[in-house]
Order: sequence, then structure tokens, then C-alpha cells
Amino acid sequence: MKEFVLDCMGEACPIPLVKAQKKMEEVETGDVVIVQCDHSCAMKNVPEWARNAGHNVEIDEVDDGEWEIIIEKSV
Amino acid sequence: MKQFFDRLGKNEYYVAVFKNPFSYVTGAILLSILQIALFAYSGNPWGVSGTFANWGAWIFEAVGGNVDKWYYFSSPGAQATLEAGFLNHTGTMSNLGIIFGALFATLMASQFKIKKIKSVRQVVAAVLGGLLMGYGARLAYGCNIGAFYSGISSLSLSGWVFALSLLVGAFIGSKLLTKFFM
Amino acid sequence: MSEENKTIQRSSSRAPRKPKKSQIPLGFLLFIAMVIVGIALSFKSTNLGLFWLFGGLFGFVLQKSRFCFTASMRDPILTGGTSITRAVMVALAITTIGFTAIKYGYYINGLDIPGMSYVVPVGPATIIGGIMFGTGMVIAGGCASGTLMRVGEGFQMLMIALLFFVVGSLIGAHHFGWWKINFISHSPEIFLPDYLGWGGALLVQLLVIAGIYIFADKWQKKKVGSGEAGH
Repeated sequence: MKEFVLDCMGEACPIPLVKAQKKMEEVETGDVVIVQCDHSCAMKNVPEWARNAGHNVEIDEVDDGEWEIIIEKSV
Repeated sequence: MKQFFDRLGKNEYYVAVFKNPFSYVTGAILLSILQIALFAYSGNPWGVSGTFANWGAWIFEAVGGNVDKWYYFSSPGAQATLEAGFLNHTGTMSNLGIIFGALFATLMASQFKIKKIKSVRQVVAAVLGGLLMGYGARLAYGCNIGAFYSGISSLSLSGWVFALSLLVGAFIGSKLLTKFFM
Repeated sequence: MSEENKTIQRSSSRAPRKPKKSQIPLGFLLFIAMVIVGIALSFKSTNLGLFWLFGGLFGFVLQKSRFCFTASMRDPILTGGTSITRAVMVALAITTIGFTAIKYGYYINGLDIPGMSYVVPVGPATIIGGIMFGTGMVIAGGCASGTLMRVGEGFQMLMIALLFFVVGSLIGAHHFGWWKINFISHSPEIFLPDYLGWGGALLVQLLVIAGIYIFADKWQKKKVGSGEAGH
């Protein structure tokens, strides 16, 4: 079970989501992808996409305006 | 004092209204209520981009330019608006209100952060995107709010034609984004 | 999905939690400042004060719901998601009904219908303008309202976009005369009730909106999946 960190700090929509989607395609089931972002849209649309795609998601607010979205590939 | 704010920030009602995001549909309903209220009060729907043309004119005039011979600003109404200045301009107040309303929302959720520019690529994207939006909005008499949202809601065919054109533009923009600006 | 509460296992590369500073006091200060500005404007004219209030409310709602018209058009293409598209359809439907009710009220009382300045000529300029705007909003990462909202959130990139939005608007205004002569003056203004009747126009528009909503729902299910309906 591998862990990957995607640093998307400072990126505008929809870059965090597109990068997350691409990474999730590459990794294996059981792997964890952590998306670091500071965009208010991304902290909503990345988890929403991940859940719709069937994965486990958790969101951590690590600082004012900074989030880590932890996605575990479940399909 | 600090204790008050810390406890406030954890209060369940506070969290529901100020901390957590609203759903998109909640936003849609609230925006609609605001749009309808604005229309009922002022006789006109919400608009955003027309104000930017006025801002441009005021800045231009401040550095010595003159727009009085331009067709766009030739109507008595447009001339009167320019004469009265931005401090008397309702559109200016509503656009500035949007900026500060959003800032207020962010601060109340303790989510404000300055997002600095990371690369030249971002600057190019911002310049190009801004120019295209500004110019395009003048041709279509409005932006995603005035020409699309308000236009369609006003039962004007222009709103729908603009919407389809936006979709085409969004397609082109998406291709450019993935190719050059990712 | 109960799995949401399961803690996903991760290594200790977790970012160390710094004690977060609450920004709520700043929020309160800003609120007071905004009220003062609103009152000051109202002394000049109630109209100005109310537009400031409406703007503030729009900005608040836009930010809280992360409402982004750009995303409503871009996401179906780029990510397959249509939750914002569907929310925009909801907004269009409700606002259409509200506006039409108001307009119809004026109409049957023989009064001038308000808001008709937003029924604008439709033609090549609309299409070219729309394509330019659509391209620009996706590249810049925000539309007109979205740009203002993100300036308020502290995005420097969108501050640049705003500046050049103003510049582009001025250039557009400068060229507007040419567009008017060559295209816009030949383009009709089409107010749907004039062609379909009030009831007909309302019904057709709501049906189209509903149709797009259903299509968007199917689109997302096809492209992404339907683990949990997005909202």
C-alpha cells in the first residue's frame, strides 16, 4: 500500500481535481493519494468526485485555508 | 475575548452557517432569491461586467484619456454615469460588495489565505483569460451573470445563444488549459 | 457510506498540525467596517447602500457554496462532473419563474415591463463574445462573479485576471461601435413571450432547463459513477 502526495498549493481550478484524477488512474487499489490544496473549490469538488467514483475520502483542514484530501483507491 | 471567539467557532449553529460550505443547490436557491429581490427592487437583474467597462473608462480618464467620442459611451445615460463618478455608481458598489462579501465569508470560516502567484504560466493565463472575458462580455452585452444568468432568466433568446457559445468557449479553454496551462 | 468514518491509514508523513489562528475576530471587524460603509453610502443614496448590501450577500453566498459558473460548463468537459451544472439549472429555473411573475404583473397592468434592457440583440457578436468569454473564463480560472469572489479569497492570479478583465472591457467598449455597425444593429432582440406567449415561453424554457438537468445527471453517472449523488 503506497502513499503519494500531490502538492497542488496555489493552483487554480480545476487543476487539483484533474491532477487527482490522473494520479488515481495510475495507482493501484489500496494506495493512498493525498492532495494538498488551498483552493476552496477543490476542497469540495475533489472529495465529491472521489466519492462518486467509489473511493474512500477524508478531508483534513491543516491550516487556515489549507486542506489535505486523503483518497484511498477503493475500486 | 479570545475564549469567546474560540467557543463561537465551535458552536454547532456557527459551524453550520459560517464554517461549513453550503451545497451547490443551496447556493442556487439563495442566489435566485437575491436575483429576484434585486429585480423587484431596482427593475433590473444582476449584472457584473458592465461595471468593468466603466472602471476602465474612469481609469483611462484618470491618466488623461477621453472616451466621450466612443459610441459605447455616447448615450446620455452612459455620459451621466461617467460624470457622476465611481463613488455614485451602483454597479461599482455591488461588485466591490461581492469581493468583500466573499472575504467576509472566508474570514468567518478561518479559511483566508493569500494564494501567491506560482509561475509565469499563471500570469499569462490570467492576462489572456481576463482580456478575453472583458472583450467578449462587451460584444455579448454581458458576462456569465448579465448575459447568461440574467439573460436567460429574462426570457431573452440571447441568453441561450450566449450559453451555447460559452460551452464552445469552455471546450476550447479546456483544451488550451490542459495543453499549456497545467 | 459508513466507510467515510473509517480512518484511512497513512504514513507518518502527515503535515505537523500548527495551532490554527482563528480569523473570526477579523471577520467581525470586517463586518463592522462593511456596515459602516453601507450606512455612509446610504446617506448619499439608499440605492447605493442597497447595491452594496446585495453585492455583499451575493459574494457571501457565492463563496460559501463555491458557486462557479465556469465550473458548470468546464467540469462536464474536463472532469465529467455536473453537480454545478445541475445547480445552475436550478438557479435558472427559480429565477426565470420569479422574473417572469414580476414582469407579467407589470404587463397585465398595462405598465412598462422592467428589465427589458437585458433582452439584447442576438447574432454573430453574441456568439463570438460568448466563445471568447467561455475560453477566457476557463483559462483564467473564474468567470466575472467568480473572479470577484476569488479576489476576496486572496487569489493573486485572479487579481491580475480582474485587472485585465477591466482592460479587455475598455478595449471592447472602444471597438463596440464597429461591432454595432457591422453586426449588432442587424441582430434582432428576441423576447420569447413575444413569440411563444407568456405561458408558452415559460413552459418551453422550464422544459429545456429540466431536460438539460436530466441529461447532465446521466452524463455524470456515465463519466464518473454514482457513489453518492453530488450536491
